[in-house]
Amino acid sequence: MGIQLLSRSVLSVVGVLKNSRTQVAPSLCPYSLKATWGGNHIEKTWSFLWKMRNNHLGITSASCPNEQTATSISSYLDLTDEELMRQCEMGTFKTSGPGGQHRNKRESAVRLKHLPTGIVAQASEDRSQHKNRASALSRLRTLLALKVRNIVELDAYSPPPELLQILPAKSTLRGPEFGNQIGPNNPKFNVGMQALLDLIYAVEGSVSDAAKMLGLSTGALSRLILSDDSLRMAVNELRISKGFKLLK
Amino acid sequence: MTASYRLSSLCITTSIFSSHGTRQMKVRLTGFGGLSTFIRPPLHRLKSTPCALSSSVLFSSSSPPASQSHQVPLFLRVPKYATPVSDLQKWYSWASDLAASVGSTFLVSDNGPDSSLLCRELRWLLEDALQEDIDPSLIHQVGVNSAQREVNLKTGIEDLYKLWIQRIEERRPFQYIVGCEHWRDLVLCVQEGVLIPRPETEIIIDLVADVISSNRVLKEGFWADLGTGSGAIAIGTARALGGCGTVIATDLSPVAVKVASFNVQRYGLQGVVEVREGSWFEPLKDVQGKLAGLVSNPPYIPSENIPGLQAEVGRHEPKLALDGGVDGMDHLLHLCQGAASMLRTGGFFALETNGEKQSKLILDYMEKEHRGTFYNAKAVPDFAGVLRFVTAFRV
Repeated sequence: MGIQLLSRSVLSVVGVLKNSRTQVAPSLCPYSLKATWGGNHIEKTWSFLWKMRNNHLGITSASCPNEQTATSISSYLDLTDEELMRQCEMGTFKTSGPGGQHRNKRESAVRLKHLPTGIVAQASEDRSQHKNRASALSRLRTLLALKVRNIVELDAYSPPPELLQILPAKSTLRGPEFGNQIGPNNPKFNVGMQALLDLIYAVEGSVSDAAKMLGLSTGALSRLILSDDSLRMAVNELRISKGFKLLK
Repeated sequence: MTASYRLSSLCITTSIFSSHGTRQMKVRLTGFGGLSTFIRPPLHRLKSTPCALSSSVLFSSSSPPASQSHQVPLFLRVPKYATPVSDLQKWYSWASDLAASVGSTFLVSDNGPDSSLLCRELRWLLEDALQEDIDPSLIHQVGVNSAQREVNLKTGIEDLYKLWIQRIEERRPFQYIVGCEHWRDLVLCVQEGVLIPRPETEIIIDLVADVISSNRVLKEGFWADLGTGSGAIAIGTARALGGCGTVIATDLSPVAVKVASFNVQRYGLQGVVEVREGSWFEPLKDVQGKLAGLVSNPPYIPSENIPGLQAEVGRHEPKLALDGGVDGMDHLLHLCQGAASMLRTGGFFALETNGEKQSKLILDYMEKEHRGTFYNAKAVPDFAGVLRFVTAFRV
């Protein structure tokens, strides 16, 4: 069983999803989707699919004409830097004039556009363009974690290991094999943050419901969410739309 | 030659080089202890002695006498100038005001830096001047405790005043002020007489890395970087080769040879990159027809455009590294022609150009004058989308 997503350009084809639980938030979705659903072939946009999920309708299969280049969207964060770079269009900021030897302006800013999702990350604080590219790429990983949503099956939910790693040790689901809690400064935090947001979206913004699924008290999960600014903002954005009060 | 001048109670040492030769330099030390003083310029110090680096033996293990002959960049100097934080804060605030007073005047006159770019450079200057374990944000901390504290700087506070005046009033490039440029993952030392490596040129290393990733023969061969300047392309290429091949870097300028040799040493590549003094292919007779790769960022600016260049470039960088003759094509065509005889079968070459027009002229030239000599010749864009590079393989 799987869903496959088609994009308009070859470069940005995304493909087979694991456990039919991957989705992109509708606002980010430039894609059309072909699927068979209940025996009928459909070709719909992401926002349609998003609605179907909220109505608890299942998609049974989908087709993708270009499986060779397909990449599962749940795995963007698993890609190496080089692979992720290949999905990006890189631009430096607009420069006037002929550039090259003519110019000394130390404009080393870098802008990366991730073609499959349209997410843009940029960096300009470093003195080398090369290093700004690395910062922009790591920023892109955070943005992908924040904005690319996977569908979570709430029945029989068990948190994936990357999520358990970022939970505090007092979680009843977290065994000692997970070692110390991974914090926001660790590059591995992004993958866990993505899985946490997937869960919070699945329970429609209820921190207490999500906390139960993670073997934590509501207070402990709130503290985790508040420990990272971008995570807190993403959760609060959802909570406003669902009529919850803001976490502070 | 370095000259010292007694200025009030302070001793200021200065060394200015201009591509127009020695000029009378007026430096007004505004806001500096109320002084308004003029100092005379020194003679320029770059009448250098020939480099003692062996130019005939590959894998030369002898060290160039670099420490004697190149300028030590600020960030590599010893932090031995104890300075009260309040003095540093005073300097920083003065320098910020000076940068702010520029507004967009440089931008309007010759597409130079505006205040915001200059302020960014000022932060970087502070970074380079401070001892490593000090957080530059102390510059904004207020309170008696922090102001009375002393920090160690890598140059005297009076030198920082002088350097920032040179930056603003002389338009001396920031990279010459601090003596280095951050390029790819490298920090390369630069000084007057050596072209400051440009961000566009970083792509040449990616082009090389692409080619050698699937070709063991090229990865293990001899590479040449012609007109190496600071040694940027040669060092980047050597690191891409990962210890397999050898890079020969040539430059006509003895200053460039010294600076490149120093940078090669700093990255521990003495056994991999050999720097030779001479014009283009002239020092490469021993590897004729054997080169696996040839890379270069030769002078390509048309002569008529030289007078209108941004002041940082036109007044301070070496014309030798910029002026490409009437249409800027003189050296590009020479390199293209030389590539035909220097490269081995399957050898790769990559040249940086002024953009689309020159790239197309080179592709035409290869097609007309060297038909059947090259294959897979193409123009490659830089990050701004300008067709900046020409790459090809030798048949």
